[in-house]
Amino acid sequence: MSATMLTFESNDGVQITIARDVAERSVLIKNMLEDLGDTVEAIPIPNVNEAVLRKVIEWCEHHKGDPPSTGDDDDSRRKTTDIDEWDQKFMQVDQEMLFEIILAANYLDIKGLLDVGCKTVANMIKGKSPEEIRKTFNIQNDFTPEEEDQIRRENEWAEDR
Amino acid sequence: MEDNAELESFRRQWREEVAQKTKHTRPTPAQPRLSKPSTAPPSQFPPTRHEASQHEEVHEGAASIDHSEIVHGMGQLSVHPSDEDAFHLPASRHEPKSALEHFERAVEKEAEGKLGDSVQHYRKAYRLDSAVDKTYRNKYFATAWKKPTQAPTLGATTGKPTDQQTQEETPVLPTPELIASFAHLPIPQAEPLIENTPPPPCPISHVPSEVLVEILRHVALMDPAALCRMALVCKRFAYHFAHEQHIWRRICQGPEFGFKSMHYSFACDIHGNPEHTLGTRYTPFPRSMPVQIPEPLSSWSEVFQVFPRIRYTGIYISTVNYTRPGAAAAYQNVSWNSPIHIVTYYRYLRFYPDGSVVYLLTTVEPREVVPHISRENVKVARATTQKQHPRHTSDATVSAESTDAIPHVALEALRHAYRGRWRLAKPVADSDSSSEDAQNELPTAYESLPDKAVASPSDPRDLIIETEGVGPKYMYLLQLSLRSTPAAKSKQPNVSPPNPSKNTKLAWKGYWSYNKLTDDWAEFGLKNDRSFVFRRVRGWGLD
Repeated sequence: MSATMLTFESNDGVQITIARDVAERSVLIKNMLEDLGDTVEAIPIPNVNEAVLRKVIEWCEHHKGDPPSTGDDDDSRRKTTDIDEWDQKFMQVDQEMLFEIILAANYLDIKGLLDVGCKTVANMIKGKSPEEIRKTFNIQNDFTPEEEDQIRRENEWAEDR
Repeated sequence: MEDNAELESFRRQWREEVAQKTKHTRPTPAQPRLSKPSTAPPSQFPPTRHEASQHEEVHEGAASIDHSEIVHGMGQLSVHPSDEDAFHLPASRHEPKSALEHFERAVEKEAEGKLGDSVQHYRKAYRLDSAVDKTYRNKYFATAWKKPTQAPTLGATTGKPTDQQTQEETPVLPTPELIASFAHLPIPQAEPLIENTPPPPCPISHVPSEVLVEILRHVALMDPAALCRMALVCKRFAYHFAHEQHIWRRICQGPEFGFKSMHYSFACDIHGNPEHTLGTRYTPFPRSMPVQIPEPLSSWSEVFQVFPRIRYTGIYISTVNYTRPGAAAAYQNVSWNSPIHIVTYYRYLRFYPDGSVVYLLTTVEPREVVPHISRENVKVARATTQKQHPRHTSDATVSAESTDAIPHVALEALRHAYRGRWRLAKPVADSDSSSEDAQNELPTAYESLPDKAVASPSDPRDLIIETEGVGPKYMYLLQLSLRSTPAAKSKQPNVSPPNPSKNTKLAWKGYWSYNKLTDDWAEFGLKNDRSFVFRRVRGWGLD
């Protein structure tokens, strides 16, 4: 069963064949396969291009042995900030790729990958000032000085000093 | 004598300042100490000698600038790396040269509580330039002088200058509508550096809300303060910061910063060894069952803000200054013909989520010792003491290499640190289940403690700490109570007051020593003692 191969087609028309158990890391695909039964046709993944799809598959290959995540809020046991070494390396990509992976993981419903992606972004935010965060992500400050000041006062408590 | 003339002018300056201050001090409530030394109110002047015993209150009341203006001023200062704290210095610090630099250093020292050094720098500053305080003000608080003419128009309520809990909980916001208006704004992309070139990529702006929230949740679990900074990045994040209450609920319930790791009964023995109980530990917001926001509060972020909570991300410092007359010596500086010693000492408390605490009383100033205060280092410090005894060499060698990292001063101080354990008083127990344990508060827990010692047993903000004593037969008992720095009243009616962290102060309620052999209690006088104030330390409690 696990040897069954499936073919996927990215939105730029490239076909990639992978083992079914790898593909089933994606809850979206898993549910789809349950509905479809066995299929030999290429399954289109309309929102994801080839480069990103290959990245996602690489991650799924590496993590195919992982126990399926049990619930969505069980992360209190393990340290929430941990990213394992392989994942860290895997996530060393440029920012556009990083967010594309996150979007793909969100679309394909791959919780583990989404988590790693979000943690990676969170790590980029941690310890930075608002201005540094803006620089990091090329965000423009859309507050008026008065608004910014008002928000600063309002949220001052969370700074914890 | 030229020296004398200068001194005269310094004195005159000083007198003027004091006179000026006393004119408009009275109505301002005690000003919270500012956390950044470099931005302490410029009007904090060296204390006059005779009022030393109350000088802190005088100072805090005397700041002639409204707190909110200072905050405003702070906002205009250039952004410093936000993880910065006062305990990790940039590698090189040049000695102050100009009057302004001396003045800055003096303010810094004063904020640290080093009054002696502070006075020295103030004097040097005034010698170099008698109007240095004006220069200083212009540098740091220029924005506070020219009042913003059109401040945000939404009507603001003014903060109540009291730290009573009922008052704290009254909402002070015109801000919600403002924030609500941010709801669906896109994340704005930065403009290109050079006109007519494509803008730098901003992939985060294409991310849907659900994913943004997921990212914010991870940020929050790493450090809630980082989430706060996110809120200042752009409007969209400010909206999510205020509205994603499930993130705040998760933080409240979680063990990282929340109430899961608060202890309402002792979790370890006095030396920090865990004690195991079969019963489940009380936690106010268990994750296994649906939880309600406690009565007067309306949101989880408020719960996180207001509910009594101990921070693990930094240190609680109580700075004590007192003066005593010293003997006149021939070689003393002429200007101080009868010297007054300003003695500064510190009490430090570092809490751990496992219920243990490190308590240190020392004269070593925060910068020297704070980064090194930890259970591990206390152990190391004690082990190196034992190295003198030849018998203990075996366990001393183990830690020998790790001592290298700790400077000698800190190590020396840490040798006298006490280990201990802490717990909070249980919040008012909800009717049934835990009400019986709730009775088991201070009065009954220490039967032999003299009656007068027991103040108000049911205050949920109370914190009880037991530490080792000077010898094995003693145990020290500290009773503290969480307090907030009162919100400063805003002078400008249409600017909402700042909304600072709550429960960052620990006020003394009592301090006893207990002789285990004779079952005797003795009370320590707290004549000079000041409240502990929380300061973040980089890297603590964040893993």
